Amino acid sequence: MRLVAILLAISLVGCASRPQVSYTQLASIQVSNANCPQIDQITQQVEYQLKLLGTLNKNPEDMSESDRAYNEKAKIIIWSLRIGCNNPDRYNK
Amino acid sequence: MKLLIISAIAVAGAAYCTQPRADCYTRISTNISQQVINSRPVDIQKLVGPDGRGQKCVLKYRLHINNDWQTVEGIGYGTTETEACVQALDQHRGNMLEEAPSSVHADSQMVCSDLPDIRVHPVRIGDIVWESETDLHTYVPERKYFWYKRTQCRMFVERDSRNQNLMLYQGVVCRLSTAPNSKWQVIDKY
Repeated sequence: MRLVAILLAISLVGCASRPQVSYTQLASIQVSNANCPQIDQITQQVEYQLKLLGTLNKNPEDMSESDRAYNEKAKIIIWSLRIGCNNPDRYNK
Repeated sequence: MKLLIISAIAVAGAAYCTQPRADCYTRISTNISQQVINSRPVDIQKLVGPDGRGQKCVLKYRLHINNDWQTVEGIGYGTTETEACVQALDQHRGNMLEEAPSSVHADSQMVCSDLPDIRVHPVRIGDIVWESETDLHTYVPERKYFWYKRTQCRMFVERDSRNQNLMLYQGVVCRLSTAPNSKWQVIDKY
């Protein structure tokens, strides 16, 4: 029981750290309709990085410049998938 | 004496606060049908009243004309409310309303309205707004509505000039209900 509590505490400390994916790595991610089957896993992973950064539901005005840039890249990935996968004809002429 | 002055100020203040106030605009005779219109009429506000010929319908709505949201007023007459309001929504009858400048031009009319004033302003995640309180996306293909969790949404942009830096944010607003004049909620901004 005590071990479980310690492991939980360590994992919570881990949550307060910086994201595991760097800005450069994040900026290199490109998503397309081919990623739609993995939309849940990808958005959860990217949202987790924002949770680690502490910007998940924050307004951009309240962030530092570097956090804002990271947050923007991550949100673009998330919304590209949400919009593209739910609206497949959106960009068709 | 002091008490008298305080009472006079309080009475004057109360009178000012209870006084009916309306926003006033200059009605510019610009035929909106000749403008580049980028949206359908949104955030429609309606005032209907009896008229000698039946019903008079005054609609104040928002249209994205050229590069900005504009407030447009349309007036229609009919035997029924529906007939009058259909006529009022006809864009060929719309007049752009602009905020009254300090001097009113001779070829313009001053009109006043108790309907809420809607304009683009900075928003935050969670805010509930009229659709035209957020600007259309600068990239035209991103202006289209889309569906997310069975809700109609669209992207918006917001310009923020602080510390001499121009920041351009984007975000997502979603319709709160299927009612034709529903408000929208800011669900993300980044």
